[in-house]
Amino acid sequence: MSGGATRRDALRVMGASIALSALAGCDEPDEFGHPLHGRGRGVASEDAVFATTLELDGLGRGVLVRTRGGHPIKVEGNPRHPASLGASDVFLESAPLSLHAPERSRQALQHGRPAAPGASRDAFNGLRGEGLRIVTGPLSSPTLRRLVAEALAANPGSTWHVHDPMADPASQAAALAAFGEAVEVLPDLRAARTMLCLGADPLGHGPAQLALARAWQAGRPRLLVAEASPSLTGARADRRLALHPAEFEPLARAIATELGVAGLVAGAAHPAAASLAASLREAGSEALILTGRGQSAAVHAIAHAINAHLGSRALRFVPAPAAGGAEMAPLEEAMRANEVSRLLLLDVNPAHDRAGFAAAMGRVVHSVHIAERVDETGRVASWHLPLNHPLESWGDSRAFDGTPSIRQPVARSPGGEVMGAVEALLALLGWEGTGRDAVRETWRGAWGEGDFESKWEEALEAGVAGESVPAASLALRADWDLPGRPIPPGLAAHFAPDPHLRAGAFAHEAWLQELPRPLTRLSWGNAALVAPETAARLGLAPGDEVELSLGGESLRAPVLPLAGQAVDCVTLPLGFGRRAGGPVGEGRGFHAAALRPADGAWVVPDLTLRPTGRRVALIARESQPGLEPDAAKVIGPGERLPPFAPTPSLHQPWSYPGAAWAMAIDLDACIGCNACAIACQAENNVPVVGPEDMARGRGLHWLRVEKHDRPEDRSVFQPVPCMHCEKAPCEPVCPVNATLHDHEGLNAMVYPRCIGTRTCSNNCPYKVRRFNFEDHRRRVDTPARNPDVALRPRGVMEKCTYCTHRIQAARAEGRLDTVETACARACPTRAILFGDLNEPQSDVARARQDPRSYLMLEQLGTRPRTSYLARVEEGGA
Amino acid sequence: MSTDTPPPSTARVAEAALRPLGWGGWLGFALAGTGVVVLAIAVARLLWVGIGVWGNNIPHVWGFDLIAYAWWIGVANAASLFAAVLVLRRHGLRTAVNRFAEAAALAAVLAAALYPILHLGRPWLFYWTLPYPSTWGLWPQFGSTLVWDFWGISAHVLVTSMFWYVGLIPDLATLRDRAARRGRIGLARAYGLPALGWRGSVAHWHRHQAAYRMVAALVLPLLLSAQTVVALEFAVTVVADWHQARLPLHFIATGLPSGLGIVLALAVALRHGLSLREFVDRGDMDLLARLLAAAGIAALLAWMHEAGTALLQEDGTTRDAFLVRLAGPAWWIAVVMSGLLPQLFWWQKLRRDLIFVPIGLLAAAGVWLDRWSLVVDGVSRPRVPFPVTAYAPSGDEWALLLGSASFFAFALLCFGRFLPAVSMFETRHEESEQELEEEER
Amino acid sequence: MKRVLGAALYWLLRRPRAAEVVLPPRGAGTIAEFHDADALTEAVRAARAEGWTRFEAYAPHPVPDAAEAMGIHAAPVGWIAAGAGVAAMAGAYGLTMYLSVVDYPVNVGGRPPHAWPVYLPAAYIVGVLVAALAALLSMLWLNGLPRLHHPVFAARGFLRASEDRFFLWISPDDPMHTPEGAQRFLRSQAPLRVSEVPPS
Repeated sequence: MSGGATRRDALRVMGASIALSALAGCDEPDEFGHPLHGRGRGVASEDAVFATTLELDGLGRGVLVRTRGGHPIKVEGNPRHPASLGASDVFLESAPLSLHAPERSRQALQHGRPAAPGASRDAFNGLRGEGLRIVTGPLSSPTLRRLVAEALAANPGSTWHVHDPMADPASQAAALAAFGEAVEVLPDLRAARTMLCLGADPLGHGPAQLALARAWQAGRPRLLVAEASPSLTGARADRRLALHPAEFEPLARAIATELGVAGLVAGAAHPAAASLAASLREAGSEALILTGRGQSAAVHAIAHAINAHLGSRALRFVPAPAAGGAEMAPLEEAMRANEVSRLLLLDVNPAHDRAGFAAAMGRVVHSVHIAERVDETGRVASWHLPLNHPLESWGDSRAFDGTPSIRQPVARSPGGEVMGAVEALLALLGWEGTGRDAVRETWRGAWGEGDFESKWEEALEAGVAGESVPAASLALRADWDLPGRPIPPGLAAHFAPDPHLRAGAFAHEAWLQELPRPLTRLSWGNAALVAPETAARLGLAPGDEVELSLGGESLRAPVLPLAGQAVDCVTLPLGFGRRAGGPVGEGRGFHAAALRPADGAWVVPDLTLRPTGRRVALIARESQPGLEPDAAKVIGPGERLPPFAPTPSLHQPWSYPGAAWAMAIDLDACIGCNACAIACQAENNVPVVGPEDMARGRGLHWLRVEKHDRPEDRSVFQPVPCMHCEKAPCEPVCPVNATLHDHEGLNAMVYPRCIGTRTCSNNCPYKVRRFNFEDHRRRVDTPARNPDVALRPRGVMEKCTYCTHRIQAARAEGRLDTVETACARACPTRAILFGDLNEPQSDVARARQDPRSYLMLEQLGTRPRTSYLARVEEGGA
Repeated sequence: MSTDTPPPSTARVAEAALRPLGWGGWLGFALAGTGVVVLAIAVARLLWVGIGVWGNNIPHVWGFDLIAYAWWIGVANAASLFAAVLVLRRHGLRTAVNRFAEAAALAAVLAAALYPILHLGRPWLFYWTLPYPSTWGLWPQFGSTLVWDFWGISAHVLVTSMFWYVGLIPDLATLRDRAARRGRIGLARAYGLPALGWRGSVAHWHRHQAAYRMVAALVLPLLLSAQTVVALEFAVTVVADWHQARLPLHFIATGLPSGLGIVLALAVALRHGLSLREFVDRGDMDLLARLLAAAGIAALLAWMHEAGTALLQEDGTTRDAFLVRLAGPAWWIAVVMSGLLPQLFWWQKLRRDLIFVPIGLLAAAGVWLDRWSLVVDGVSRPRVPFPVTAYAPSGDEWALLLGSASFFAFALLCFGRFLPAVSMFETRHEESEQELEEEER
Repeated sequence: MKRVLGAALYWLLRRPRAAEVVLPPRGAGTIAEFHDADALTEAVRAARAEGWTRFEAYAPHPVPDAAEAMGIHAAPVGWIAAGAGVAAMAGAYGLTMYLSVVDYPVNVGGRPPHAWPVYLPAAYIVGVLVAALAALLSMLWLNGLPRLHHPVFAARGFLRASEDRFFLWISPDDPMHTPEGAQRFLRSQAPLRVSEVPPS
């Protein structure tokens, strides 16, 4: 190798210098990030990995972004970041997709018309002055908080409002009442032995999901869940109760009464209280009550009191990283009273989330909306300025536990007037400098001048810029109880974030729109979720349209009866009914936020529901049961499954002397979060087929997550990738050898050889093969696609490849022992293991020896390489 | 040439082929031709847009395409089988119906042959199933039923057309000579080329008969294997309801009513449309109708066997899969239309031309529904949980189905228009033999 | 339209073939027309008995007795078909085996390259197909067909040979053939008519 200055190297150097000179032509060559590792900076054609941060609900999650040729192609979790731990969720995985969305704003608009270049300066000039109102989302970013404070100081009489459709005001009120401080409860699921969730969904999607799910898998506390609408946590519960929203406070009070909690103003009785209280008492300081959205302040407060009473060690309190800012309601009132003349809306969309906001905002003379796309708010604002994608600009953030991290850009900004959030505030302040300078300024302030540069480099490389906030030790106040007005029984509206779209912030992500929701299985739309009993009482079938009326407002929505939904509780998923923001999100589903009251309540009583007699075509990808009963096996604790007995065969088996790739999926660890499915879609350039083809059953997801129903309306989730059967039934029926085995046992699919007879799909007992009924290549062929995975033309079968390109890359780099598929990498609970079966110490080889190990449809003799570990449940199968 | 009148026996057959087309004929050609245009449009759309224009999905990757394929093969098989058996048994019916049974078989097999290519995701690559030395160095996967089927359908088309053509050579010579006697040299040459210069040498006749019977005899194993291969496409899979050794037999037995039903309806059309009542007489029609009824019994036995093995003998998975099929109406309608309805023909009173047509066509349609039950209802519940969307055929699929039926009709009309509908030489042969018998008596 | 098509077809086909040009200048043999198959059969027997060797009998339908009288056996057709079929079957299996075991073996569904049961159906079908092809082709080959032109077509009234008349034709190539001798013999068989086939 010493004399190996080959022609390729020469070309690479040339390419590097060309790329560097191209970069040098830009304004800020340094803006373009700091790769964690890669062939070299500025070498555009090569791989690079950047550590950076993406936010959900204003809270950061560290990620590693793989780029190719300067384009981010895949986001994975950063193992060093406490909110990711190497795992990722559907939101992180889909981040690169929207980079190239055609509807993204590229230029400033004034009253909907393109403004002259440079005119955005006018927009900021008009904002400066007295009475400025700044509206942002929840901000944990130290730099943004610093700049907002500067802007408030520079403009007398100005106010900072925080618009957070995901906020839970009752929880904040309860924390203030119980501890006198705005703190958040961080459960420690490793330390907990028994956890009671009252409407809380720690395993569900959210900014702390990855950390909580990992901790839950490590500690495996006994889960007792009471909830109004099924959640991922409820699906995994050891005991689950479906409760009407009105029942939570009586239940909480009854448990507190049973446990003898001091300071309880009023007691209550509930039939389930005694056993739940006994479970909590038995666990003692290892017990924990967690409350979630939709609970009254009283329930939150009672939970704090019970946790304090039990002396629970399974939680800590941290100051909310994104706390601060005024509420939105006063702003709306002020706008209606024509008292607002300067309004800056930074990356928020209150016109969608708040029913009356758009009308009020129309009265503001000078409103500047800065966002990635012209959404509902952008349409009303007098100015719309384009915002960078988070992967294109500098920033910083704090995780749910307060851990700070820097966000560095990993993709080039489209340029022109597109700016980052930090730059926007700098422009508002009229300050010089770049976003990077501002972020460095913030951290220079925090770290001091001394060894700033080395700390900065370290923070960029690690993706973490410090420690988490130390836990506050707080004493419960004596007057913690907040006996307010209880929720009355009767039909109640229960607003809930959509699992994939949140309150609508992700409505433009086609991957998230299309992937069936974990529990409702809905794709490309939402539905009012009702209990089967409620549906039967009203004679409603799935897809029947109803008119929902609440507080004088009404809207039409299709209903979906959902097992596990509390009787008389109607769950209205937010995030749909978008009227602007791009073709992906517009016009899907119904606009539940239109019914939501201005105070951001999650549960509102006195809902009326009237069938209209019409029907709406829901796309519910609900599985029907299979012919064979035990695709997902459930066993009792300590039970063993019989070992795999190979079925006899006439033919000699094929041997695999090298590697034998295999996968093991632990159903007991799977929480059904869908991260694997989106990770697979991102990794393998799996196209979005659109609502029409989804309705026709032509979705292309290589990995589907099946939901199996269990007693108490719980669920077992089962990711189903290709089984890579050693005796694959799909192969012998292919007439043209388009699908066959490679020497390591992968069931390979040779796209260019396929002529599309589809007979392999018929002969796949696991139904994992997907067919390109149409040519989807143009839609996938963006710079965000994975160049290692071929695009499939029309008329060709495709399926899971065990990420064979990753195996090849790993082999080329000599790290075969660490190769992981995209799904395995994403999984927050490490339910998916991948490795070499011939390596006795590998995770998969050991998983095969586990007494819970089984093969799906083993009796067919297909000898799958993908094995499963059975779910363990109290009481067993 | 009017002095040179041929005997009336076969003249009308030849006349039917040579006389000008009546308005009914033009109407038939116009209707069938329109259908062929529809077929062409459906095929063009399919090739341009792709399988996406159909209603298929996962798991219903096959729909109208394979149903129609299996059905047309069944029609072709039953018609061919019928014609071949007639030749081999030298049955009296053969002169009347075997030629058009052969023609119907050929037209049906051509209609069937549309589908294996068109149903591909990339139809222009169909030749990859051929073992030819490609630049990849890769060969077809010879264990695949689809490769068997490629040979099966090719052999089916070739042998059926050979069977039909070998029988046609002497009659083409007759048409050639009749046209020549009328001085229509162009027409004479048009018939003369495919007649290969047949001059009726006794030695030629001798070898011709040997070859004809040889091909007829070879049609039988081939038909069984063609139908068997289609059935194996289903039977070799792990689809619970398909994975059954009885499937080839089922396909053959239930295919019979479709072919015989079509032949029966066509015979009525021949009797009235081409005025060939003497050649296809009441006795022939009676026999054919009773054959259809017998085929219905065979199909009923197949269905009883199907239900019996699935419900009583097979494992629970197969039973559940079959119960899914029983829940759909297609299976029951098939049993009624193709199995029970033809039983009416055991009654002498019901053996009338007016009744033959609807019942013959219904019997054929019933077999189509049986294939639907297998292809669609058979996979609508996979072994593992799966979000199954019901299969809903699209307009394009209907167009293709009607188009292929029109193509079938068009081919038969061409056959009736340009070629002798009844085997003339066999009629002559038979008549001379009858004369001989009479003389001996 | 039909006329145009017919004219086009005629124009395509009207040019004389090479075979038609090089006919011997002498007469093309002698032919007798019979009313029925029995008369023809008798005439054939008589011709054989008299020692004629190069003659042909024509009938509108198979006349097995006449063929027998001429000493024609159809057996080769069957043997050729059977032999070709068996050879094709073996060849198809052998080719399949060679291609999947030797030339490019791949792991398909964990089966060994020589998974013999699945190679049988196609081999069987190919065998039947080739047998049928061989039956047809050997019949044509043994019959000397296709031969679009033959001197006998020029004989008077011969066009009815495909309809209702039976003919016995004595070739001019027969060593015994003289126009007079052939006429004499044929007239002795009670034909409807005897004529010289004109050279064409």
